[in-house]
Amino acid sequence: MNEEQVARGQEQGARLEESATVRSWVDGLREQWGEEPADMSARIETLAQFCRLVERDPDAIIAECVREVEGGKRIRIKKRRFYSEMIDEFEASLDGDARTQARSGNVVRSFMIHNGIFMQGGVSG
Amino acid sequence: MEFKEVVGRRRSIRFFEPDKPVEREKIQVILETARLASCAVNAHWLRAIVVERDKIPAEKLNQLKTPVAAMTLDLAPVHIYFFCDLGIVKKIQGSRLRELVDVGALAPTHSWSQKFVDEFVYPQILEPMTNNLQGYLAAAMADCGGAAQNALLAAFDEGLGACLNTPNPMLTKQVFGVPEEWVSLWVMLVGYPAESWEAGGQRPRPPFEELYFEGDMNTPFKRDESVVEKLKASKMITRPAPIPERKQEILQLAERLNLPM
Repeated sequence: MNEEQVARGQEQGARLEESATVRSWVDGLREQWGEEPADMSARIETLAQFCRLVERDPDAIIAECVREVEGGKRIRIKKRRFYSEMIDEFEASLDGDARTQARSGNVVRSFMIHNGIFMQGGVSG
Repeated sequence: MEFKEVVGRRRSIRFFEPDKPVEREKIQVILETARLASCAVNAHWLRAIVVERDKIPAEKLNQLKTPVAAMTLDLAPVHIYFFCDLGIVKKIQGSRLRELVDVGALAPTHSWSQKFVDEFVYPQILEPMTNNLQGYLAAAMADCGGAAQNALLAAFDEGLGACLNTPNPMLTKQVFGVPEEWVSLWVMLVGYPAESWEAGGQRPRPPFEELYFEGDMNTPFKRDESVVEKLKASKMITRPAPIPERKQEILQLAERLNLPM
């Protein structure tokens, strides 16, 4: 990644931080673990990378996975599966060994999980 | 391990050592223990198919994964699929109940006889029961649950971890090609725990008096605190969740097994 790409990524990351679903994610992590992860900015950048791959912003991803019905929300099974497969694709597109790739995939899964979308990965390395 | 301690150490274990194999002997112990569970009319509805995760074809394993259990299926080296064989009562026609009379488990002192089983119990109770699916299922499943619980406890007594999950019943039947009258129940995931035996502490339970009653349903069964203390001493009642080190443990497991957080 050259400097321009890094700068663009950081700018996008800053924009993403403002989105409701990213705020839910950060709040969820803070609530679960007692503090915000030290590498939160890097995580948001990873999410931004995924967003570029699927050409959606975080709020749109979550909105697509959920539908409102009488009495609450339902998860759209097909969309959940789609994003699960896209995360696998995202991992495969990254440099590094399987463990490193899975780590990035898990960042995106974490974003989904803390927004109420059930998302399990495989076991690696 | 003493019985009370086994009960006290049982948890639904969800973090397994994925690459540590489980000895075949221990799996047999689990199945032997299930076979000795209490069972109405000695019918034995429970069936089990043991699967070694690494020996099942990947496409079948993927078919068996549900969104909720995918991760634990990947982590646990052994999966035991439990079924309820609803065909058994018509197949054995009271013969195993008759065995209980033969061996003296059921005796004339309690009005049991071969004639009673042959002429009354099977044709007038058991066989008609199988035609009332709702009632029959409830009876058969209750016995399967007892046997599965025996199996769970045996796993912990053997130093293993285990938990029950609900698989997709249609897919499970399809993958294993079991007879139509087998109802898919649970998959028991088995392996060596990657988490500490406490696994975050004994899970929260509803208050004792909300669950159990004495004489009528409005009189809670009074809980004697001295009994509770004895159970703590015998390690049946253990440190309750949450325990302070649990979050750190999960973080370490997530890091080691590369799981999302």
